Parts: sequence; C-alpha cells; structure tokens
Amino acid sequence: MTRKLLVGPFNRVEGDLEIRLDIRDDAVASAQVNSPLFRGFEMMLAGKDPRDALTIVPRICGICSISQSAAAALALGQAAGVTPTPQGARATAILHAVENLADHVTHFALFFMPDFARPAYAGRDWHGPAVERFTAMQGSAARQLTEGRAQLLHITGMLAGKWPHTLAIQPGGVTKAPDARDRVRILSTLRSFRRTLEATIFGAKLEDYAALTTLSDLYGWTTGDAALFLRIAADLGLAASGQGPRRYLSAGAYPQGAQRLTRAGLLDHGTLKPFDPTQITEDLSHAWMLGETAHPAQGQTVPDEDMRADAYSWCKAPRLGGQVVECGALARQAVDGHPLALALADEGGVRARVAARLLEIARTQIWLEEAAQALDPSAIFLEPFTLPKSGQGVGLVEAARGTLGHWLRIEKGRIASYQIVAPTTWNFSPRDAQGLPGALEAALVGAPVAEGEETPLSVQHIVRSFDPCMVCTVH
Amino acid sequence: MSQIETFYEVMRKQGITRRSFMKYCSLTAAALGLGPAFVPRIAKAMEEMPRTPVIWVHGLECTCCSESFIRSAHPLAGDVVLSMISLDYDDTLMAAAGHQAEAAMRDTIERYRGNYILAVEGNPPLNEDGMYCIVGGKPFVDQLREAAEHAKAIISWGACASYGCVQAAHPNPTRATPVHQVITDKPIIRVPGCPPIAEVMTGVITYMLTFDRLPELDRQGRPAMFYGQRIHDKCYRRPHFDAGQFVETWDDENARRGYCLYKMGCKGPTTYNACSTVRWNEGVSFPIQSGHGCIGCSEDGFWDQGSFYDRVTDLTQFGVEANADQIGGIAAGAVAGGIAVHTAISALRTAQKKVQDRPSAAETSKEEA
Repeated sequence: MTRKLLVGPFNRVEGDLEIRLDIRDDAVASAQVNSPLFRGFEMMLAGKDPRDALTIVPRICGICSISQSAAAALALGQAAGVTPTPQGARATAILHAVENLADHVTHFALFFMPDFARPAYAGRDWHGPAVERFTAMQGSAARQLTEGRAQLLHITGMLAGKWPHTLAIQPGGVTKAPDARDRVRILSTLRSFRRTLEATIFGAKLEDYAALTTLSDLYGWTTGDAALFLRIAADLGLAASGQGPRRYLSAGAYPQGAQRLTRAGLLDHGTLKPFDPTQITEDLSHAWMLGETAHPAQGQTVPDEDMRADAYSWCKAPRLGGQVVECGALARQAVDGHPLALALADEGGVRARVAARLLEIARTQIWLEEAAQALDPSAIFLEPFTLPKSGQGVGLVEAARGTLGHWLRIEKGRIASYQIVAPTTWNFSPRDAQGLPGALEAALVGAPVAEGEETPLSVQHIVRSFDPCMVCTVH
Repeated sequence: MSQIETFYEVMRKQGITRRSFMKYCSLTAAALGLGPAFVPRIAKAMEEMPRTPVIWVHGLECTCCSESFIRSAHPLAGDVVLSMISLDYDDTLMAAAGHQAEAAMRDTIERYRGNYILAVEGNPPLNEDGMYCIVGGKPFVDQLREAAEHAKAIISWGACASYGCVQAAHPNPTRATPVHQVITDKPIIRVPGCPPIAEVMTGVITYMLTFDRLPELDRQGRPAMFYGQRIHDKCYRRPHFDAGQFVETWDDENARRGYCLYKMGCKGPTTYNACSTVRWNEGVSFPIQSGHGCIGCSEDGFWDQGSFYDRVTDLTQFGVEANADQIGGIAAGAVAGGIAVHTAISALRTAQKKVQDRPSAAETSKEEA
C-alpha cells in the first residue's frame, strides 16, 4: 500500500525544513526536500562595498556565523592578494574551531539526542537514561552542556569582541591582538571545557576516544553519553539507516598559511582523490531559481516568482563533477584519514555521522589546547590590505556542518557577484536535471514508517544526523 | 489561570536551590537598574505569580537571537530559558515535531488566550504572498498573525523583528518587514541588536514577567533601561576620542594602544545600546574592545547607510553632543524621564496605555531640556 506524507516543520534544526515522502509498504520510497526559507543575500551583496561582506555574510546564520566570516575574509584576501599573518591565521582558526566545537555539542545535546527521550520509545531499556539526560529543554545533559558551551564561547568574546556575528576576522588576520592575560584565560577556559566534555559526553579522557581505530573499538566504548548513544544505535539499527552517497567532500579545515589543519579531498567509496573546486556546478532544474546550470563564479540568483510546478525548493543543487557528495564532520575526519572515521565512512549511516562528530569534538578540543598554547601576544595579528577596483576571490572553509564556499567578483570597486554554496546546500539539495536526488533525499529511501505514523521517527533521526542548517542552505 | 504553577515552583522542579534563586533575583534587580530593596519584591512576585506562558516564533532570520539568549550570564541562565519562562512553543528548542508542534502552538494559544507573551525572532517577508518563509505549509506571516491575535504583548527580538535587518537590505528581495508594520493592534517592545545582548533579553523578559507590564520604552519602542545611552557615552576608549587619539590603520601602533576607532568607521557615537556597559558573552568583551568599530546594529537602517567602514560624516568632534543626539534622537527625550519603577503590579493593558502616552511626555521633557 502507498501513501504520501508531508513532514515538517522540523524543530531542533536550525531554520525551516519540509519533506515530502512517498511511502510504500511501510518504508519511504522517495523523498523531496524543500528548504522553504529564502532571503536573497546574494542579491543584496551586489553593488555594496566589498568590505561590507564581512558584516553582512555572518548574518546569514547565527549559529555558524564565524564560518561565514572566515569564508568571506578568505575570498576578499584572495582578491586583494593578502594572506593573514601566521598568528592572525592561528587566532582565526581558534575562533572558528571554538564555534565548530560549540555547534557539535549543541547538535548532540539539544538537537539530536532528545528524539530518543520521546514517549514512543518508552519500554526500551535505554529510555530511562535518555529521558533523564536528554529530554528537550530539561535533561541534565542539556543543562550541563548549554552552560559549558556558554563558557567556551567566552573565547570568542576575548578574541573577537562578541559572538554571534563577530567582526574581528579580516582578510589579513584579526583586529584583536590577544595579550598574555587573554592567552591564559583562553587556556583556562579550554581546560574547564575539557572537564565538562570528559564528565558528560565521553566519561573518559578525550585522547582515549580520539585513539579508537576500528568499529569494534567503538563497540567497546562503555562510558559517558557516547556509550548511551552507541547502545541506542545498536538497538535501533542506526548504523544501517540513512545511507549517504559514500562520496565525502572536505575543503580542509583551518587554513594556516598554504597548509590546512585537516586534509582537503574527495573520498570516493574509499579512494581519496584531490578536490577540484572548478568541478562544482549548481543545477537549478528543481529549484525556484531562473538561469542555467553554472559554476558559482558564473552563477546568479534570480528567484522564480511564479514558483513553477516542476521545482520544489529554494535550494539550488550543487554537484561536484556532476555527482552528489556528502559533507560534514564524518567527511572531514575521513578525508583527513583518521582510521575510525574511514571505517565509519564505509558504514555511512546515522550512527557513523554522529560517532564521527563525537570524534571531531575530541580532536578539535585537543588541537585547540595546542593552538592556544602557541598564541604569541608579541606577534603581528593583522596585515593591512587594499582591495582592487576589479578582481575575484574564492573562500573555501569547513563549517561545522561541512564545506562552505564563497565566490566573489569585484568590478568598479563594488561587489559585482557573490555566490555562496553552504554545507546543507550540498547535503539537502533537491534533484538535478538528471533526476539524481540529493544526499538526504537518497538517504531517506528505505526508512521505515509504521502504520499511522505521521512524523516518522526514523526520518527524524536521519534528517538530524546531517545536522542541517537551513538558514545557510538557501541564504 | 489558577492551575498554572508559579515561576518559583517551576524553578524548584528544576532543582534550583533557594540560594541560587535569591542570587538570581538580586542579579536581575541589578541588571534592571533597580535597587536592593527590589530584590524581595522580585522574589515575592516569582513565588506568587503564575508563570507567564511564552510563545516564541521564528520567521525570516538567522537564529542569532536564540543563540545569544541561551548564553546569558546569570548563573541560572540555562534555567531561565529551559524552565523559568517556560517556552510553551519554541520551534528551535522544543521536543515535539511536525503536526504535534503545530498543535502545541494552537493549544497554547487556546489555553492562555489573552495571557501569553509572543516573542518574535525574525520577520515576515511579504513578497509573493509570503511564500519566501513557509512554516507548516503556510506563510510565516499567517502564523505570526494567528499567534499575535490573542497575545497580551509582543517582544520583537533583534534587528530583524524590530527593523528588518540585513535581509531587508537593498533591494530587499523578499520584502522583509518588521513586526510592528504587520501587527498594529498590540503593545510591542522592540529589543534590537544583531543579536541583542543576552542579559538585555533576559532582563527585559524578567521585568515583564515580574511586574506584568512593559518596561519604560523610548520613542523607538526600546526599553530605556538598556537603550538609554550611546555606546560612545560609556566606551572605555572615549578618553582617546576626547584627546584626539585615533587608530589610523588596522593593527597600527595606535590600535595596539587601544586608541579610538572613530576614524575606522565606528558607529558608537550614534548607537544606543548597552554593549559598552553590559558587554558580550557574559560580560567578557564587546566589538570595540576587540579592535573593531561598532556597526550600529541596534539602530534602524544600519544595514544600508553606506559602508560599515565609512566614518560617521555628519559628526563634528566639537559639536558631537548636539549632533549625535539629533541623529539617534529621540531616545534621549524618553530617557529624561528616568527609569520608572512601578509600585503596583498592574495589567499590561494599563502599561500599554501608559506607553502610548509616553511620546508626548517625552516631548515635554525634551522641550524642557
């Protein structure tokens, strides 16, 4: 038997989302993902002073605003021929890593895990602890981690004045040169956040989780909320559910000079290939957008006010070499070559995404401690820059949720074109002209939907495993 | 409403001790500019008054207001959000999903008809019949109207709800429109900023819950207690402005010395907000302290005033007081009345009337000044 289901709005995701499901024999047969929020940032940026991008683009998203700042600063820097000073790049990377870390923690504690506290799971042997720890807005983990996260974000205050919507990140580095006192405070803030993580999510030393190499190591993890998640995942079969395209993209996180802290690349069914940004296209066949398929440097944003019937989303469909890719923590860690992440990438479902995100939490915290240690208050943190009257720039960074790209063209001293491809644009794209569904659309196929279920739990888990950011998706 | 528990009961259920409850009350009194004598009053109100239901809706926005809110500095910050004000409907944080969530909102409206506060984050886009922001299959503007109809008051969080913000920047592709231009028959308090400071948000909401009335507003509808002074008035770099010591380029010697950022485009002299006093991320810092000028995000139209790095051109150094007051205006007049502390807990409807009367009072005091 078949039926159609419209699922949405989704809460505990950033922004608005609606999914149309065709259900056959108690499972999803096909899915259409609609991003129902459009603001038109790319249209507003045209004609503005290029430097104003640094103030406007962070406001695309209040959750990943530093990622947007960092991408804009890179694109402007490339146009101006300036790179951040080494310490400026380090301070930018610390700011960005703090935001990514905070986002991952929010996702786990406030967005993803509360689904397991639902009454529908009463009777499962893990339901009691899930309710105690993760009931929305009340669970003990939600409180501990919200508080820990607020303290962690003091670092963005110290290094950048305010968060969200930081202004300090510039093409040549950061406007704030931290002094010795800031450095000490950053280190002590990080120490305290480590204690929070080790007492809650991991229940053990971060290094122990970061040292896991195989799936059987992971099965053997017995402490903290991570163990609770793994127990739930085993019971509900989350390893097999929500299978992605197994093509993982990462632009490499945190530029430090010519290097990046994590590797850039495309991991295609286990084979690592170089990432060639010129192979990116945005397909408009199923988006309410007018124009032809184009590379973002040539792309445009003209909303189709008629909202034509054969389209179903404001989201364009980005493809790499014509293919669907998945990005995010799992992709980043796997492309970087971490053995556990490679094993998880091969597993490719809900459990893999969440377990890899936890891996990235551990690794990012460890790296942050080293980076803060190496802050040098006596160094130069900002290189002055002059923008050309005409020029181009690309800024590719890794936001918490995956690869974020800004393509900028300056003419007559003004922004002539600004195109943005955000992580969830990749993951939640609609179909393209060949009819290829986006990563989430394909991942939903096969998800079980019980008779009479109106907001299928399996769909909720799969959607949230990607940690979507819908306001960035369409912008 | 007798079946609704009090704030204190809600807080106790969350395992909050009496001691931290009293600490919360005194911090709140301080944040609101009230003396220690008001601490017991706040405590009493919280113990005796039924909690106020809040519906929190999201339109065209970036969620930065929610992000700011959940990082407030009170020791009970998390709890303010997670329990005390009891967000009966909030689509970013709540547990339910889909139709259940829609039902929860309708249920809240029905149960607390005329008694709930509607908090709006973001704004409705009006082009194409509102189709640029769809919630539950309907334009957000419909959800907003439905939720506003029986609200006793509305809080416009942030620059989006208050003014439009960057998404209303030229050419404003979606016709993003501030809340007060769509809802015209309810008392609306505007809490602008992109985002507003967390302590300002919790301060405003606590005031409304405690005293069951709107705080004193300036003529732009902003709470005077937080938007009564310019960033410039309380900026720790102000002595350098007065001494004519300015940063000339990024990270020059003068920048290291912490000189004034006016020549780098700082909008502090024309911006009314609490950043230079309350500061950000639990009082750690604020943009000027990080070496970047203020962009004026709590002022109407800040997104379309030329480049953010343009100097405030109509500001002459010696005429600064007169000139900046003309620009930011109007707020100064309302502040002249001082922060009113009300001795009786009255209904919001009375407050609304007073607020409506306010502009003329402000005019008067301005003339006197």
